[in-house]
Amino acid sequence: MGDAEALRSQDLRKVYTTKGAPPTEALAGVSLDVRRGERVALLGRNGAGKTTFLKIASTLLRPTSGSIEVFGYDIARTPERARPYIAVVPQEGKPFFHLTPREQVYTYLRARGLARETARSRTEEALGRMGLTEIADRLAITLSGGQRQRTMVATVIATEAPLLFLDEPSIGMDPFARRDVWESLRELTRRGSTILLTTHYLDEAEALSDRLYIIERGRVLVTGTADDLKRSVGGTLKVTMPGGGAFAESFRSFGASVVDGSHLTIIVPPERLGELMELAVRERLVATVGPVTLEEAFLRVVGRSIDED
Amino acid sequence: MRTSGGGVEGRPFRGLAAFLWTEALVQAHESLAMATSMVVQGVLLVFVLILDPSLLGVALAGAILFSMFAMGSRVLNEAAYIRIDHKAHDLYLASPLSPEGYFLGLSGGILTVYVAPVVVLGAITVAVAHLSVGVGLLLLALAAAVWLFSASIGYVFSTFFRDNRAIWAYASLFFNVFGVLPPVFYPFGLFPKPLDPVVLLMPPSAAAALVQHAMGVTSLTGGQIALAVVALVVETVGLFLFAVHWARRTVQER
Repeated sequence: MGDAEALRSQDLRKVYTTKGAPPTEALAGVSLDVRRGERVALLGRNGAGKTTFLKIASTLLRPTSGSIEVFGYDIARTPERARPYIAVVPQEGKPFFHLTPREQVYTYLRARGLARETARSRTEEALGRMGLTEIADRLAITLSGGQRQRTMVATVIATEAPLLFLDEPSIGMDPFARRDVWESLRELTRRGSTILLTTHYLDEAEALSDRLYIIERGRVLVTGTADDLKRSVGGTLKVTMPGGGAFAESFRSFGASVVDGSHLTIIVPPERLGELMELAVRERLVATVGPVTLEEAFLRVVGRSIDED
Repeated sequence: MRTSGGGVEGRPFRGLAAFLWTEALVQAHESLAMATSMVVQGVLLVFVLILDPSLLGVALAGAILFSMFAMGSRVLNEAAYIRIDHKAHDLYLASPLSPEGYFLGLSGGILTVYVAPVVVLGAITVAVAHLSVGVGLLLLALAAAVWLFSASIGYVFSTFFRDNRAIWAYASLFFNVFGVLPPVFYPFGLFPKPLDPVVLLMPPSAAAALVQHAMGVTSLTGGQIALAVVALVVETVGLFLFAVHWARRTVQER
């Protein structure tokens, strides 16, 4: 593992065995790397293996085979050596209901071994970043779900750990709070931290990650930037035509198409847009042109993989 | 490499004091639970007072041992609650906080808060039963051993469950089989003789028998004293060491 890498996994496999049930292969040979200072997103459907990967990487689950290193430390053999360098927001994790956000963040930093003064100043900074200052002295049991999730994220970002794992960090948050999280994570990477996150919000993955991995059935399907992924589906523009469903055959040669009721959506490269619009006018169809979103690219990539299987 | 995430190499019991403080804060915010932690003991003391007031001293000493044992049930419930309901367990274990620091911090935090009513009970016991300094110190040492035993067994048990509802039944069983049924609140001599060895093998009742013997309420033979002391020491130390090992082993699920 090179000095430039924060995390590297090679052919990582995890098989869950439960008495009386057939073994379940959650990871079927995942090889990936995260470079220092990067923000990397793991995308995938429910049950694709993202959380299993994150649990292994954060030292909480033993892999069945393969290797995984965090800052050069073997996670399977010497997890305790990697732990000072990591922090994790667990999926559906909640703060202690009978602590206030201020107590939660501060005591967590102290439990990690940070000095009182450092813990105090980082607590205030993290609470401020996550918009929690005004409610910092209310017990978590009285907070909303989104406020509790912000408390969890504040707890972890306050560590400024070199490698942060965030499993669906902005779940349940309003759009303003999500943007606070994004900005805080960007700031952390500017200061030198590395971030690996999972999310089902594809706008979040696009806004936040330098690179992303799509995982499907325990395997890495695609890796690259969000733009790479969008280009990989055959075009960067999306043309939507209400009432175009009946003309799907005529437009097939332009690119991948989806018929949804009477709507026709086609993904098209920019150089063929003019030709397509001419055909739309001839067929008296109203056409709306927009960029391909990451969500559409994701659906196509994963959908194609499911079809192939 | 940046190390601001909280130090470097993990050392044994790292983070214990800070996590103990965290758990104590959590527990201290639930003052009603602190008060209700004495309900069973209070009820049993009233029974003894009504049935035979001369046994009140024995029952008070038993109530102290029972209270310390009951804290182990709290460790069982709290550890499972944090892991299963809150999933905050992952937040702490994927960090420089040592697994044994987590186990003992959690147990110690509960003890720190819930020991307050036990201290009051201790003061009442000293006044009512006229305990000598020696018996008082013996009671203190035995109470500490019973707490360590129950906290260890509580933590280990908590790791076996995936659903909190399943724990409630076991917690109740645990509580009654070890604490209410055997002669903890009443003299050892009143329990059926053939079951004496069983009673002396269970730490709460072994501790109670030793205290009762020291108070002059019960007369144990040399063999019975040896059995109670050995059982208490071996089970407490053995379970504590196992719990530390288990805490380390279960951080990383298999």
